[in-house]
Amino acid sequence: MLNQNSSSQGQFWILLSKKLSNEATSEELAELQSILLNNPDLHPQADMLTEMWEQGSINNSAGSEAAYMRHMMKHKDEFFVEQSSEGINSDDTVFETSPGFFRTHFSKKRFIILSFLALLILTTGVVYLFSQKRSTKFSTEQAISSIVTKNGNRSKIVLPDGSQVWLNAGSNLDYNNSTFNKELREVSLNGEAYFDVTKNPDKPFIIHTKKMDIKVLGTVFNVRSYSDEKTAEAALIKGSIEVTLKDRKDQKIILKPNEKISVANEEPKTEIKQTKVIPAKTDPVRIPQIVVKELKPNPTYNNIIGEIAWTQNKLYFEDETFENIGLRMERWFGKKVTIANESLKNIHYTGNFENETMEEVLSYLKLSKTFNFRLGNDNVVIY
Amino acid sequence: MNKSEDFSDLAERIANDDQLAYRQLFIQFYNKLSRFVMGFTKSKELTEEIVSDVFINVWRRRKNIQEIMNLKLYLYVSAKNITFNYLKKLQRENLADLDSVEIEPEDPFADPGAAMITREMNLKLKAAINELPPRCKLIFTLIKDDGLTYKQTATLLSISESTVENQLSIALKKIGSSIRYTFKHN
Repeated sequence: MLNQNSSSQGQFWILLSKKLSNEATSEELAELQSILLNNPDLHPQADMLTEMWEQGSINNSAGSEAAYMRHMMKHKDEFFVEQSSEGINSDDTVFETSPGFFRTHFSKKRFIILSFLALLILTTGVVYLFSQKRSTKFSTEQAISSIVTKNGNRSKIVLPDGSQVWLNAGSNLDYNNSTFNKELREVSLNGEAYFDVTKNPDKPFIIHTKKMDIKVLGTVFNVRSYSDEKTAEAALIKGSIEVTLKDRKDQKIILKPNEKISVANEEPKTEIKQTKVIPAKTDPVRIPQIVVKELKPNPTYNNIIGEIAWTQNKLYFEDETFENIGLRMERWFGKKVTIANESLKNIHYTGNFENETMEEVLSYLKLSKTFNFRLGNDNVVIY
Repeated sequence: MNKSEDFSDLAERIANDDQLAYRQLFIQFYNKLSRFVMGFTKSKELTEEIVSDVFINVWRRRKNIQEIMNLKLYLYVSAKNITFNYLKKLQRENLADLDSVEIEPEDPFADPGAAMITREMNLKLKAAINELPPRCKLIFTLIKDDGLTYKQTATLLSISESTVENQLSIALKKIGSSIRYTFKHN
């Protein structure tokens, strides 16, 4: 009996290894179970190793973002070289430039940077609209660069001053090529973008959005200003930014790192409220015009910061209404979302998705509150 | 196959020049491939160069990327081949050997508190893992931390599947015994 016991112990480690590595057949799992029944002293070790196996599989990607940047810069010719226009779908891509334009307006270096930019955009499949407008007022040539991401697409852009912009789906960023980086660095944003602005105190960087203007010297932050959403917001990760509201130009709000400002997109008919820092407990009925809050990492999801999760390719929402999630999924997956049942729109969800398809995301959401959905080729109806 | 192990969508996007998809693949595997390569080269700079080569090859061959049956295994095999080529060039072929590899596995518990593990026990586990023989530690790490299958590990290291099976069971037995010792003394 003793002999059999020790040989079954040898078999035990092989079987446990197979179980933990998902290599075991159902017969082997049963055999492992029976060995464990006969050898209770193996339980603590089996439990501990199982727990170690399950907990150990976190995906550690620390430092790899910076390594990616170095990789891109090392091989920049491969990622940004000029290519022929084959493969570009002419239905949704516009690329126009007049011959001689670069020669007359830009140094060679700037030309290279702009080629990077153009190609980055071409290769990521977004619309690049390069139009030249003749301004009669100043009778000088103006060149507006407009970078547009369609729903379902996200893109990264390096501006002529070296600042980096990650543009989320369904957004556009415009800037004037002939004035950008002269005295100011001005861009207009409709949608959502994450900025890493190159430090240059002499040339302030200004982002114009529908509700607010944001002035920075050099910093990292996220701006979200979609016209179909109820609020527009700016979240600061590093440095400092100065926010001016379009309807109150005399008021300036300075954000500190890890703060965000939210501004109501639609004006309620009530009188304008004073700017103030609102503590967590506020009147839930009235939506304040302006709220400054601290950014809170969520410990349940690896300390994710909701405002910038999208830059890490994560579709993350925290206690958001289904109505808003619908808008976000529409942009994320590039499919029209219709919520046909009004009562569903106010359900709140929290979730974090990375590689899931739209169908998978909806199936997960369904688990907590039941609804049905019908998935078409380019749309989904939720009812 | 694990759902998250299906890279066909990512591969399709990369084949269509999607740099965001390419970035995602890079971020997902950079640290893992670096650990594997570092085990042989023992040099941070050389490791970064090699892993960068692995990924630039993926980008250069992106038009054919969908023909690769197993993208994950491809990355590891490619990392191994490039590493061994570098070592040959540097006349350090002695390092291209499974018995001199120095791999650094992940900590046994990312959050010992959540698993109700004492600090002492965590240190014991860590020490037991570190004391595994080089080849055994490498196989343990590739399967547990990198999520390779027995078959993938065998292909990558040019050894038999039964060697993989044996080595992993030896690793688990040694690690398990280190905590049995702790239990007895409690």
